Amino acid sequence: MLIKLAWRNLWRNKLRTAIMLSAMAFGLIGVVTMIGFMNGMYGNMIDNAISWQTSHVQVHHQDFVDNPETTLAIVEPELITAELDKISEVIAWSERFIVDGMVASARSSRGVRVNGVDIDAEARVTPIASSVKEGSWLPAEGRHPVVVSLKTAQRLRLKLGSKVVITFSNAEKDVTGAAFRVSGFFSTPSSNFDDGNIYVRRTDLMAMAGIDGSHEIAVLLDDKNKMSNALAISVRDKIRLITSSENSVRDWQQIQPMLASIIAQMGPSNAILLGIFVLAMGFGVVNIMLMSVFERTREFGVLMAVGMQKHKVFALIIFETSLLGVTGATLGLMSSLGLIELLQITGIPLGNMAEGLGAFGVDTTLYPQVAASEYRYIFITVVLVCVLAALYPARQILKQRPVDAMAEKH
Amino acid sequence: MSIQTTQLRKTYNQDTDFPVHAVKQLDLSIEQGEFVAVMGPSGSGKTTLLNMIGGIDIPSAGTVIIDGIDICALKDKALIAFRRDNIGFIFQDYSLLPVLTALENVEFVMQLQGHSEKECRERAITLLDQVGLGEQLHKIPSKLSGGQQQRVAVARALAPSPRFVMADEPTANLDAKSTAELLDIMQQLNEKEGTTFIFSTHDPRVIKRARRVIVFEDGQLTEDRAQ
Ligand SMILES: Nc1ncnc2c1ncn2[C@@H]1O[C@H](COP(=O)(O)OP(=O)(O)O)[C@@H](O)[C@H]1O
Ligand SMILES: [Mg+2]
Repeated sequence: MLIKLAWRNLWRNKLRTAIMLSAMAFGLIGVVTMIGFMNGMYGNMIDNAISWQTSHVQVHHQDFVDNPETTLAIVEPELITAELDKISEVIAWSERFIVDGMVASARSSRGVRVNGVDIDAEARVTPIASSVKEGSWLPAEGRHPVVVSLKTAQRLRLKLGSKVVITFSNAEKDVTGAAFRVSGFFSTPSSNFDDGNIYVRRTDLMAMAGIDGSHEIAVLLDDKNKMSNALAISVRDKIRLITSSENSVRDWQQIQPMLASIIAQMGPSNAILLGIFVLAMGFGVVNIMLMSVFERTREFGVLMAVGMQKHKVFALIIFETSLLGVTGATLGLMSSLGLIELLQITGIPLGNMAEGLGAFGVDTTLYPQVAASEYRYIFITVVLVCVLAALYPARQILKQRPVDAMAEKH
Repeated sequence: MSIQTTQLRKTYNQDTDFPVHAVKQLDLSIEQGEFVAVMGPSGSGKTTLLNMIGGIDIPSAGTVIIDGIDICALKDKALIAFRRDNIGFIFQDYSLLPVLTALENVEFVMQLQGHSEKECRERAITLLDQVGLGEQLHKIPSKLSGGQQQRVAVARALAPSPRFVMADEPTANLDAKSTAELLDIMQQLNEKEGTTFIFSTHDPRVIKRARRVIVFEDGQLTEDRAQ
């Protein structure tokens, strides 16, 4: 009966309630879309960083990280790969022979990181093979193939089949060089990455350098939760146990601390967004609850006169505001859910903005993401704020004696 | 079973330069089953008196004793419960809940007492039948005439089976016909169920029907007669 009464009271002033509910709904759509946009953008950044740059775990010689010299190869890499084969969460791993060198065409030259990779292993760990836009990924046969980015190709004026010369310092610190033939052009979401990386076969590079081994082992895990590095840490620690202390084993957040800070600030920044909305909404609710309660002062007086206990009067007011909150939050979140679902299909084209964001590794089309837990959290916050907003008006009414309440004329 | 006031006094604006003595040193005794009219000009203190003996206003001095209970000494919660179970109110402006139907308005106060839904429904329908609103159960107050609304208010006041009903100028907003109907109903209930009615009025037609008339002037009892 109390809830029925509360619900009908809520709709006494239809226009006022409808306006408040619309304000809540539109506000929530705005907030949820913003949160979805941010989540989508940062999530995309993290996804791209993991798939292209950090994988989940990487192993290097500890000195290679700061000083990438050809001689600083991983100590006993076969122990590591043997261990990786035993860990069930490991999807794939790739051993890389890496040198910093120059790539030159007839027109121009550029400093690049030359990634010597095992063709199939690399294709399993990163999406490189599928990111070749023209030509093909490194072939197993044929002399000295190289895959460069579209950007590098433009700068060096390369065509498929063009010849380039790659030079770098070998193990003896002598400059060594060889001719390679372009087999394909790739393009990744990160313009920085495209600028600085080319791919050749590991065996070709080892032959040029005059030593065997690898400088980097990148490990890809079966881990859907991009907001946490827990699984990466556990695999990292397993490898640390069996490998020489001269090797450094790091999870993706250690490799790219910016990713950890992005994740760390996502929660607070979404909370601030929600906080601002909820504060504005809270004042709105206080306002309409004050109006709706005080214009009924006499009625509450009558209720107390005919024997309604104060806690029930209080409950009635709280029910009214809760129903307002629940209705508003449901309306708002349902519409938001619909909008987000739609945007999940269509995506948000970033247009010009994508150019700028390309440097951070963000795709040109964004898919907003809002987790079920975020919807729940928003729902609870909205209802809670509505209840809090009604406490003051409710208290004011309860302080009155029935006669005084009834004496109020409206 | 009675209402007993001793040296009952109510002064508004007590601590100011212009105190209003709404009720002055009143000793009054009303027995169960009486049908009493409190009569007097506007501003004479009728409402104040009814509010105090109904337990919704607190006297400045003196006591109100109902069935041996000093209601002025009751705590908030106990006082509300006491009113709920013992005293019915009928207000000049009806004061029904506008969002509830006639039936729900009557059921509601019984539910406050904790009766089952079925009990409430049955008694509410019986009472509304008695006041001649058997056909209007599901109408909200704004769809009823003033006289009909006041009859719903009578049903509501009687639903919790109170022993005393306070009616402050119940007919002030009603036309002659509705006034007569309402008085018939109140009188019947008084005679059949022994419910005590205390109503204030300055309408001579209403006074005619009362069995006891208390005349009030300037906060003081000037006449107390049976008729
Ligand atoms: N809340 C109040 N504050 C100050 N004075 C009041 C208040 N209520 C009533 N009065 C005064 O008390 C006197 C009695 O009022 P009331 O009991 O309403 O008389 P009646 O019901 O006979 O018209 C009047 O002079 C009125 O102005
Ligand atoms: Mg009066």
